[in-house]
Amino acid sequence: MALIRKNFQQILSKILQPCAVLTSQQCNSIHTNFPVNSEYSQSVARPEGRTKCTVIPGDGVGPEMMYCVTEVFKAAGVPVDFETFFFSEVHASMSAPLDVVSGSIQRNGICLKGALATPDYSRTGELQTLNMKLRRSLDLYANVVHVKTLPGLKLRHDNIDAVIIREQTEGEYSALEHESVKGVVECLKIVTADKSERIAKFAFDYATKNGRKKVTAVHKANIMKLGDGLFLRSCQEMSKLYPKIKFESMIVDNCTMQMVSHPDQFDVMVMPNLYGNILDNLASGLVGGAGMVAGASYSPECVVFEPGARHTYSEAVGKNVANPTAMLLCGAKMLFHVNLAHYGEMIKKAIAKVLTDGKVKTKDVGGQSTTSEYTYAIINNLQTCY
Amino acid sequence: MPVKICRSLNQLANSCLRQANIQVTRNASTLSDFDIQHKTPVVRKVIHIPKAQYGGRHTVTMLPGGGIGPELMDYVKEIFRVGGIPVDFELVQIDPKSSGNEDLEYAITSIKRNGVAIKGNIETGSLDTGIISRNVALRNELDLYVNVLSCKSYPGVIARQKDIDILIIRQNTEGEYAMLEHESVSGVVESMKIVTYDNSERVARFAFEYAKKLGRKKVTTIHKANIMKLSDGLFLETSKRIAKEYPEIEHNEMIIDNCCMQLVSNPHQFDVMIMTNLYGTIVSNVICGLVGGAGLLSGKNYGDHYAIFEPGTRNTGTSIAGKNIANPIAMINASVDMLEHLGHQTHAHILSSAVNNTVNVEKIHTPDLGGTASSMDVVQSILKHVLEATKSMKW
Amino acid sequence: MAVQFLQKFSCTLSASRTYSTALRKATLIPGDGIGPEISAAVQKIFSAAGVPIEWEIVDVTPVRGPDGKFGIPQSAIDSVNRNKVGLKGPLMTPIGKGHRSLNLALRKEFNLYANVRPCRSIEGYPTLYENVDVVTIRENTEGEYSGIEHEIVDGVVQSIKLITEEASMRVAQFAFKFAKEQNRKKVTAVHKANIMRMSDGLFLRCCRDAAKEVPEIRFEEKYLDTVCLSMVQDPSQYDVLVMPNLYGDILSDMCAGLVGGLGLTPSGNIGTNGALFESVHGTAPDIAGKDLANPTALLLSGVMMLHYLELSSHADKIKAACLEVIKEGKHRTGDLGGTATCSKFTDEICKLDEFEGKHPHQEKEPLKGFEGGVNPVTGEIGGPIGPEPTRYGDWERKGRVSDF
Repeated sequence: MALIRKNFQQILSKILQPCAVLTSQQCNSIHTNFPVNSEYSQSVARPEGRTKCTVIPGDGVGPEMMYCVTEVFKAAGVPVDFETFFFSEVHASMSAPLDVVSGSIQRNGICLKGALATPDYSRTGELQTLNMKLRRSLDLYANVVHVKTLPGLKLRHDNIDAVIIREQTEGEYSALEHESVKGVVECLKIVTADKSERIAKFAFDYATKNGRKKVTAVHKANIMKLGDGLFLRSCQEMSKLYPKIKFESMIVDNCTMQMVSHPDQFDVMVMPNLYGNILDNLASGLVGGAGMVAGASYSPECVVFEPGARHTYSEAVGKNVANPTAMLLCGAKMLFHVNLAHYGEMIKKAIAKVLTDGKVKTKDVGGQSTTSEYTYAIINNLQTCY
Repeated sequence: MPVKICRSLNQLANSCLRQANIQVTRNASTLSDFDIQHKTPVVRKVIHIPKAQYGGRHTVTMLPGGGIGPELMDYVKEIFRVGGIPVDFELVQIDPKSSGNEDLEYAITSIKRNGVAIKGNIETGSLDTGIISRNVALRNELDLYVNVLSCKSYPGVIARQKDIDILIIRQNTEGEYAMLEHESVSGVVESMKIVTYDNSERVARFAFEYAKKLGRKKVTTIHKANIMKLSDGLFLETSKRIAKEYPEIEHNEMIIDNCCMQLVSNPHQFDVMIMTNLYGTIVSNVICGLVGGAGLLSGKNYGDHYAIFEPGTRNTGTSIAGKNIANPIAMINASVDMLEHLGHQTHAHILSSAVNNTVNVEKIHTPDLGGTASSMDVVQSILKHVLEATKSMKW
Repeated sequence: MAVQFLQKFSCTLSASRTYSTALRKATLIPGDGIGPEISAAVQKIFSAAGVPIEWEIVDVTPVRGPDGKFGIPQSAIDSVNRNKVGLKGPLMTPIGKGHRSLNLALRKEFNLYANVRPCRSIEGYPTLYENVDVVTIRENTEGEYSGIEHEIVDGVVQSIKLITEEASMRVAQFAFKFAKEQNRKKVTAVHKANIMRMSDGLFLRCCRDAAKEVPEIRFEEKYLDTVCLSMVQDPSQYDVLVMPNLYGDILSDMCAGLVGGLGLTPSGNIGTNGALFESVHGTAPDIAGKDLANPTALLLSGVMMLHYLELSSHADKIKAACLEVIKEGKHRTGDLGGTATCSKFTDEICKLDEFEGKHPHQEKEPLKGFEGGVNPVTGEIGGPIGPEPTRYGDWERKGRVSDF
């Protein structure tokens, strides 16, 4: 509590300070940035305004991870309230109804979500998974996973900085399957021009906004000439609108090979559903595993922040060993999104510091510590950074 | 057998598509102008580009332009950041010195991508006859056929006329600004004024729809059809014809010279005005003068697909650039217009009431309004109000 | 041109046929670019090691068929058909439409249902990953690459992923058979049945059934994404992987990436009517003819072929020699950071071969290439001769059916 109060005071004083600085500088340099930008860019917009966020803890270690997030948020004094729903496919009877959850996300615009377990078969014989249904109902079409090597980890590759953007409402995951004759199953992959253009534009807009140089479309158009061909064509069309961003394409199998041997060549990558799933996980593996990478799914209206590689890790439930970094980074990303960048930065820096120090690490990244030890280490390293 | 399979596949796929369509039209009642613009079922003259709205955040092209533009844009960015307004800017600088048009072309592409832009006045480097004004080129290229200037008096600003509330709707792409000029024989220059039926109809239609939407009572067509019988005549005839479709709105006409006189003597008789390009420049500057100068009003440029928001009177203000005395209100108003267009009504409201408080209640005025405050003082005051308003607000 | 050179090369080596009883015939498709060089290297090493194989060299340069379309010469197909086993160098990707790829034609011809790719770390050539020893087995005839695609309405394309019980069962059984023969411990089925519940579910069921028949091999099921994630973290936890077409395509290349690229990974295609072994790397036209290429991938593919022909002692010997030369490091080719030429590298391997397994018939062992025409002994047609138009039409008709 004392920490919170201290933070508040610091923050408030820092907000009020720019006024003095600005008038003294008299803004004598035009064509340069507003003086406030450089120096005080981390100040908080609304120290008292509270933001509401939908939370779906998910299955497996999800609830434990979410608990870590709440702990860290509490310690950092983040002005965010959680609206938590139990949402699960494996425990369907206890799960909150889909429309309630999606309604809440629509209202709040943001959601923090753990991984949902998807059983191989559904009791009702339904082909769509709960994840798919949620994505469909909210039209969460773009999944963004920023794979970046974090400091302090011993890894094979140390210079990965790639953004994997995945279409996740159509493609192989359309859940259109049937057995035409006994022993022959057909699974439809749907590719539409509209959605391909939309995801391509998303990728290019993302690249523009984040100052990226290159967009790589990953496809298999040499075999699936129509389907992936359409996707590739849409990307090519869209790239013409972005003369400042380099566009190239790569076949998915070659791409995986390049990813494990020369991952530093990739910048922004855009791809259909299944390839995205593969590369997300592959790239997560390169930077330390599923516990380290945060992701986000965007619709035009709302964002769902979820781990980049979605694994429930159910064998670790209750053992206090899972790595909460991915979830914490999701939380930090969410704070950036709702203009609470200061808190987001604070959490990110604390994570980086703990990892760089290297004393407290969870087992999956070569440490000995438990989840709670790791969480407390992060809390202890929370510093208001100006 | 294969035919049967194929048919069932198609059915499945169709049902999938239908589902998708239902998703899209789900909340049609809450659509913003921005959304509507993106789904207007007009004939596609341009390639369809998906909208730049991700996770509730819009991307908007920002063209600072020359003169005071860059500083004003910095104020806007700062206010947006502090206010937590979910808009990201894509900054496109246009080098005023270069004679090439690469920057401009990039800016146009960027606006096509984002659909919306906020801009200062862009300087055209060369005065060569071959080079067209970049502002005009931008409007023509994006087919922004109508310019809307909402002129409303600020009670806190001392001005000749009080309580003015006029909406100027101006044809934006043709007329005298067609830029077709030549010297037919030495010493004789011909300049062409183009009026087309299509564009006149679009403007008139837009004006009446807009008036209807805002509950305005009267539309006045400004022209010079007594002299330019064919060109202005066409414009006038078209607006008369369209007016018949809107019996609830009163329609009258006025000749431009008379209009200017009426404006300075009795401006309250006007409600919505529509006019061709050149008259628009004249009338809008006259009214800006009446309500307190160039630094207050903002203008909107609309086309079928894109929208650009800018300060109402298109002046660069190079002479006062960098002196911290330029009035930031016009540009901030432009950003309010933009927020309204994008559908961020709450944020637009917060920002406009902050402006209102600053200008009308606290009367912090820059020298052009007769005050002594610097630009930064005005911005600080607005920031203060924005911070206060957003304190209790949810994201 | 290259083929002509090869022909001469093999002619000079040819001698009388002494081991006709043990002699096996295999088709050799040298390929384009660096193909002829590395094929020659493989031939040389095989002969040095005394492998009882008689090569039948065929040219697969596309020829114009009676219908005006370009395709593989029938003689090539016949040759592989006769011999049931083939070794293939890299082929140039044909440019232009209306051309059927050799892979496709051969895959159809022999019903090559499984693609096997062993990826193994090579000692002496360090990559980021050590101790990789994974075999990917990929279903090769259906799945996503079924080639059934159509545009339902403008801008909406649907492609069909086809999974049949028959093909899934076949590849699953092969995987277990392979694991057993090669003394592997574990087979992992890679799937995405949590999303594609019916199609991948069917594949998974077939794997489970096949697993029951071979209880001594461990069986596990893993999601595709989990495999990707853990493969790049710790590849040693996987042994034999079996999966549908697309996943196999992606994962096999990824595993190759783990051990240093396609230049070192062999590949085999197993079918019901025969088997085709190939190097999957490119034709590298920039170094073609300069004696710089690395023949390892094709050589190891040849080793796989020897295993397939149950000539395991020869196979092991050649493989050991090849790995030894790379490990030793003195005579590596340029792609492995050395300076040796292709022929130098080949000579080194030959030396080791000769030293280790001195074969009594070493010097006399024929390396049989046909002189371009009719084989004087058997009367068979072989070598790089033109197509037989009459039979070509027949193939053409068969070739019309889609990809599998």
